[in-house]
Amino acid sequence: MDDLYLITVLSNIGMISFIALSAYLLLVVGEISFGQQAFFAVSAYGSGIATAMWGWPIWLGLLWGALVAGAAALVVAIPTVRLRGLYFSVATLAFAEMVRLIFEIFTYQVEIDGELVGPDGSDGFRDIRAIYDSNVSAFEYMLIIYGLLAVVLIGFLILERSRLGAIFRMIGEDPMLTEMQGLNVTKYKILAVVMAGIVAGIGGALYAHLATYVEPKIFNVMLGVHALAYGLIGGLGTAFGPLIGVAIDIGLLESIRAISGYRMIVFGGLVALLLIVRPRGLLDEAAMHWLRGRWRGLVRAES
Amino acid sequence: MVDFIQNCLDGIMLGSSYALLAIGFTLIFGVMRRLNLSYGPSIMVGAFVGTLVYLEFKANAVAIAAATVVGAVIVGIYVERLCFRAIRRGAAVASMVSSFVIWMQLEEIVTVVFPDRTYFFPPMVTADPIDLGPFFFKVEYIVMFAVAAVMTVLLHWLLQHTRFGLALRAVSEDPRAALFMGINVGAVMFLAFVIASAFGGVAAYLIVSADGQITPLFGLWATFKGLIAMMLGGMGSIPGAILGGLLLGVVEAHSIWYLGTEYRDLSAYFLLFLFLVFRPGGLMGQLAVERELAATRRV
Repeated sequence: MDDLYLITVLSNIGMISFIALSAYLLLVVGEISFGQQAFFAVSAYGSGIATAMWGWPIWLGLLWGALVAGAAALVVAIPTVRLRGLYFSVATLAFAEMVRLIFEIFTYQVEIDGELVGPDGSDGFRDIRAIYDSNVSAFEYMLIIYGLLAVVLIGFLILERSRLGAIFRMIGEDPMLTEMQGLNVTKYKILAVVMAGIVAGIGGALYAHLATYVEPKIFNVMLGVHALAYGLIGGLGTAFGPLIGVAIDIGLLESIRAISGYRMIVFGGLVALLLIVRPRGLLDEAAMHWLRGRWRGLVRAES
Repeated sequence: MVDFIQNCLDGIMLGSSYALLAIGFTLIFGVMRRLNLSYGPSIMVGAFVGTLVYLEFKANAVAIAAATVVGAVIVGIYVERLCFRAIRRGAAVASMVSSFVIWMQLEEIVTVVFPDRTYFFPPMVTADPIDLGPFFFKVEYIVMFAVAAVMTVLLHWLLQHTRFGLALRAVSEDPRAALFMGINVGAVMFLAFVIASAFGGVAAYLIVSADGQITPLFGLWATFKGLIAMMLGGMGSIPGAILGGLLLGVVEAHSIWYLGTEYRDLSAYFLLFLFLVFRPGGLMGQLAVERELAATRRV
């Protein structure tokens, strides 16, 4: 019983980490998105439809969900990416709320084995049973979640050492200066939004299959703003930042049952104080620079 | 035709409450240039202070309204100190996220103190709707509309004809230059926040008393309706906030009538999205946006 609880909490941390990473990627290019939950939602529905209604295997369903989320991100990115600051943030909010409200009325059902399966407006989408039908245990599914999270995280770490990562950080620092270097800022920003959409999409597809049931109101703006907050708590200097944020919020505070009813009163106050001291999170760029320096020093001392 | 006009009238009345919310929002944004997500929740707490005064002392409408405003201002000061003053100016995202976690905090404090979630809120007036030919008006909304108009005039006077208004406009234009002119930037921002919170408190009282009930969800509702109305009207423009609020109300009223309740928010967000893509400056702020774009192009 306790094991199952632990597995559930860990699986949740893993899935929410995807959307936190997705918000983090946009923070790196200097944009605040209130709308990453839209891609999470699109993929949850998309992959659920693929496995539960079209009978696709799970892995194909997950891939499909991520692709649909990426395509949705491309559709949003093209008209909105030239908007700056709060305009972009509110545009992503408007888009995400539109997606949620469309799922409130979206009905698409087929009969499978005498039962209607599929999204049914505000009643949600039941019986996304692919992992149970193929006898994947909760523990195995957790391993799948963390395996994919590891792949994405390695992707992020490679990205941060690459030219593309440097360009992303540069755009976040000063888009006009980047433009002057002869780089097409709009194109790179669209790329960042699409990548972020895909990352959120992986999380959404995983979520739909673990929960077996999704309903539109899960994907409200609170999910997206939490995702943003995680990146800022953990720090904007490294992709581990958002993971730390998620782990602190869900893991640490979920496990301290004593403050369950007062969780946000304590946590909210602590985060507000943290942001005063470290406005770019625990592991910000300066901290990472220092850590990397120390690491290099250690490596040199060893050899 | 009668339906259409009645819808417009309903929309304008509904929109007055959005306009009230947007005014406070735009005032804070205009000066701080940072988004205060806690705006709705802090006036929600104010309204709960009003509820408390009502439950404990069976107070009259004036006392409840006063308690609501005072509560909103006190919470507003808390938010200003913690999320805006204490965080350096460059870190706009940190301020926004900070105001978000404080939102969560306020909401939980309210749920702990008021465990029943939904509470009765005494109405301001108990009058029947006024009939005028085929059309009818609700008295509460006429009051709201009038208060929104008075607030606009008051704010216009404050901003354009007082020393404080001059200082406020200077800070909103360029805080560093204002500082060099000997303006106490921190004090001006603080006062702007207090004024916005007081206006928000008035808005909260009028809206909640017209609804006859209050829940902690009012915070979320107020933040997002205020934000949409502000963006539709044009960020930082007071007349824009009024027009944006009215436009939002009219669009919602028509969507409810012609498309159904489930399309109410969908059409509002669709309109907002279209505005942002094609006319990000909203109804009244396009000039400022274009000036900024032109400046960027010159560089």
